[in-house]
Amino acid sequence: MEWLVGTILQFKYSTNQLFSIEDHKGGIMPKKFFLIFVFIVCFSLLAEGTGQGITAEEIIKTMTETLNPEQSEAVVEMTITTSGGQERTFVYKAYSKNSGEKNLMKYLEPGRVKNQAILMLNNADDIWMYFPGTNRVRKLATHAKRQKVQSSDFSYEDLGSSNEFIENYNSVLLGEEEKEGELCYKLELTRKEDSDAGYSRLIVWVEKENYVPLVIDYYHEKDPELLEKELILSDIEMIDDIPTPMKMLMYNKLDNTKTVMEFKELIYDVDLPDNLFTEMGMKK
Amino acid sequence: MKGRVFFNKSVFIVVFLSFVLVSFADAEELDIFGYFEPQYVFLYQDGNSYQLNSDKLRIDLRSSVSGAEFGADLIYNLYFGKKSWNFLDFLPSVFGDGIPPEMRSLFRYKFIDTLYLDNAYVRMSNSKIAFTLGKQQLSFGTGYFSNPVDLFNSKDVLDPTYEQTGHNGARLDVMLSNRINVMLLYSPIAEVWENSGKLLRFKIGLGHFDFVLTGYEFRDRLTDFYSAFVRDERRRLAGFEFVGQLFGLGVWGEGAYNFMEISDDFYEFMAGGDYTFESGLYVLFEYHRNERGKSNYEDYDINDWLRYYLGERKTISRDQLYGMISYPLTDLISLQLLSILSVSDGSVAFVLMINYNIFENVDIDVMGNIYAGSEGKAYSRKLGNGMLIRGRVYF
Repeated sequence: MEWLVGTILQFKYSTNQLFSIEDHKGGIMPKKFFLIFVFIVCFSLLAEGTGQGITAEEIIKTMTETLNPEQSEAVVEMTITTSGGQERTFVYKAYSKNSGEKNLMKYLEPGRVKNQAILMLNNADDIWMYFPGTNRVRKLATHAKRQKVQSSDFSYEDLGSSNEFIENYNSVLLGEEEKEGELCYKLELTRKEDSDAGYSRLIVWVEKENYVPLVIDYYHEKDPELLEKELILSDIEMIDDIPTPMKMLMYNKLDNTKTVMEFKELIYDVDLPDNLFTEMGMKK
Repeated sequence: MKGRVFFNKSVFIVVFLSFVLVSFADAEELDIFGYFEPQYVFLYQDGNSYQLNSDKLRIDLRSSVSGAEFGADLIYNLYFGKKSWNFLDFLPSVFGDGIPPEMRSLFRYKFIDTLYLDNAYVRMSNSKIAFTLGKQQLSFGTGYFSNPVDLFNSKDVLDPTYEQTGHNGARLDVMLSNRINVMLLYSPIAEVWENSGKLLRFKIGLGHFDFVLTGYEFRDRLTDFYSAFVRDERRRLAGFEFVGQLFGLGVWGEGAYNFMEISDDFYEFMAGGDYTFESGLYVLFEYHRNERGKSNYEDYDINDWLRYYLGERKTISRDQLYGMISYPLTDLISLQLLSILSVSDGSVAFVLMINYNIFENVDIDVMGNIYAGSEGKAYSRKLGNGMLIRGRVYF
């Protein structure tokens, strides 16, 4: 980032110098014309290189909108690989509304969690769990947001907080970089001072062409230099004209575990009733 | 004779289930699942060692027919080891010594192999209303160890999350808005309407909190074990519940005031909180006061003990403090420590539990419990120290 700021400042300083000369002399000398031309070309190249003037906030906003269509209904397979190499596979139906602000997960497999449900409202600020064996619904406090969902490497916050990147982080465009074979915007997101987000900062590589993030590095809540998790999104398909990563792989660098989430079925063109995202909807 | 009754009952249930399965042959989908649960209990009590083991098979059925949802589960329990127990062996010696030998058999309890329909219900619903009819899970309240507003179930504080049996009822849930619900329930627990259960619950969500107001009319059963006389009386309960968070802590509570037809009115409440640390360490605590319990352990009599064991009373002592610490040792193994303290008499029990998800659909629980109170107190050593190994294979 420093190089970018430095270049812009240098450009501003140089142009000010030029125009002060121009003002002083009452005209523009040919040599200065050349210098202005060079700077304009450089600036144009610089603008091209940083997304044709697009800001980090705009990239994050577009990315968030791409990742969170208005509504969705999906069947998701989640496979967890523990540090010991054992695998556990969960299959659940996932419903989402209001661009990810409301989320409902209903487990289909394995048998030990069958029919359990998790409801997350207000971007996972309110979480309820339904246990069919006792027909009880238990409300979880927000301290549970950062806990693992079914021992996976995804927290409730990771799965249910759709506006996470916009609300909780300040974003800066670092430049462009090739990642996973694609040209990407590279952004740094730093947690806002008043935010209680679970990570101190994020590095996000967003594919230039369709604004889908390809890699997100999550840094530890208390140590901004300690890489905690890495999320790799792949198998991008057009679902209802929206580019969608069908596979997400989360590595937990601290626990040496990983979790793969794959969409087995996914549609965006649905009309989910509001009452699906209620206690009654969890039990149905 | 008991064997014959059991056989007849078993045949009836098998025939019933066959009928159900055949009836649903045309249904769009019949989902069959459940689990097998072998359990081994070892107990060391008063210098003697015992074991009571069991095999439990649960088969769940779910189906949707013409917009209605059918659900049922069948439970088959087989017991082996020491199946016959006598309550007097666990009570303070002063009670047992006072009972003539010929009357000791009155306090015997036997675990009998059983096959029964645990739940069987039909549920019809649209976007705003759900009506459930039949034997169903009815459990209320926000408490983990204790639920003053739940008159249907009695939790085992050593194993409070273990599933409860179903109850017959007609239940109507009406969703007035996304966070406002009304529930009406009629449960025919007695021979007449007057003594059956009637329940009204109004639930509202405000901010990060859920609040519930409850009104019950119920039958309260009180057995006098000295005279073997059973008395039923009408009980009316006005209760409230809440769950939410304060300063980052999860908080919840329940309160109930009981208006009794014959005996003295009484109140009961609990309050609890929890927190999950960044390491995954989870801490939970609950305080429970039951005015029906006694504050001086020297006043406990044989009726108090047996009413508690048989579920007529939620606690024997007045004030209880429960605590739980849970920690994920690995992604597949978790450790739990429960402490159960009777504040009234100072006795305490500890439970250590390890849960291991050994295979995809196989769980193993190992649980050990220690009662540390002196004789005559709620959690006295006289109750014996034990160990439980429970496997569960889901299918």
